[in-house]
Amino acid sequence: MKPEVTTDIKWDVQLRKGTLELVILAALKGRHLYGLELLNLLHSFETTKITEGTLYPLMDRLKRDGVVAANWQQTGDERPRKYYNLTAAGEEKLLSFTTRWRTSVADIEYLLTNPGPAKIAQPKQQ
Amino acid sequence: MTERDQIHAYLKTLSTYLSRLEKADADEVIREIESHIYDALETQTETTNLETILDGFGSPRDLAASYVEHILNGTPPPAGFKAIQTVKKGATKSLYYTTACFGYIISAALLFLAIYKLFDPNAVGLWSNGNGESVIIGVVDGEPEGKVDILDWWLIPVFISISVSILYVTRRLLTILKAAI
Repeated sequence: MKPEVTTDIKWDVQLRKGTLELVILAALKGRHLYGLELLNLLHSFETTKITEGTLYPLMDRLKRDGVVAANWQQTGDERPRKYYNLTAAGEEKLLSFTTRWRTSVADIEYLLTNPGPAKIAQPKQQ
Repeated sequence: MTERDQIHAYLKTLSTYLSRLEKADADEVIREIESHIYDALETQTETTNLETILDGFGSPRDLAASYVEHILNGTPPPAGFKAIQTVKKGATKSLYYTTACFGYIISAALLFLAIYKLFDPNAVGLWSNGNGESVIIGVVDGEPEGKVDILDWWLIPVFISISVSILYVTRRLLTILKAAI
């Protein structure tokens, strides 16, 4: 494995640790998904691939924290599946995470596009 | 081993590691994971098979640990519950130190007596009055009257082996207690 590839993977892992909850809440926004569907959805993006072993314990924790609700459903002969959706508290949390995330991205972006030695003219307007 | 057996074995091991949880909680976890495995198998592609699915879940032990961790510690416990946990932990801690003190002191004392016997044979012994009514172990100033030194020179090997045994048992106990702290 090339060194830069390893660095990328490590970076992804670090970043995901902090953003995983936001990712899950965002994925469930307006959706009603069971574990496998949610996992497949996350696997369809480059940086949000997580394992089953990470997803399920996390979903259990989010359910206990009251940000997602879960209920078993069975249609016809299909296997019963546990569906997740956001609760009101979850929607609220997603909203506040989203604001912080966008501020953070804007801050980093600002630093990236305004390298030294020039001084930053004035405190950035939020 | 068929796929069904493999799944069964995985879930059974998982359920063993989940035994610290309430049964309803553990059953819920097992049921969801079982449902996922069978669902994923039905939609399996060339790159996914039972092996990769189970790999994704990780070892039953680690998987169970990540549930147990937040279920027993993570969520805000009901009022009063935290106190019980703290007391439990405190009890284990004091048991740990009591065991350590008791075990090491007795073991050291017996070893000390065995070595002392070499230098002052008459002062150290295990005396009894013959019908077991009273027993004296230790260092005395002159042999107690009317009593028989039961072990005599045997005291040295006997005390050393008891001392080593106590030391061993103490260490084993401490290892177990340490895990519970």
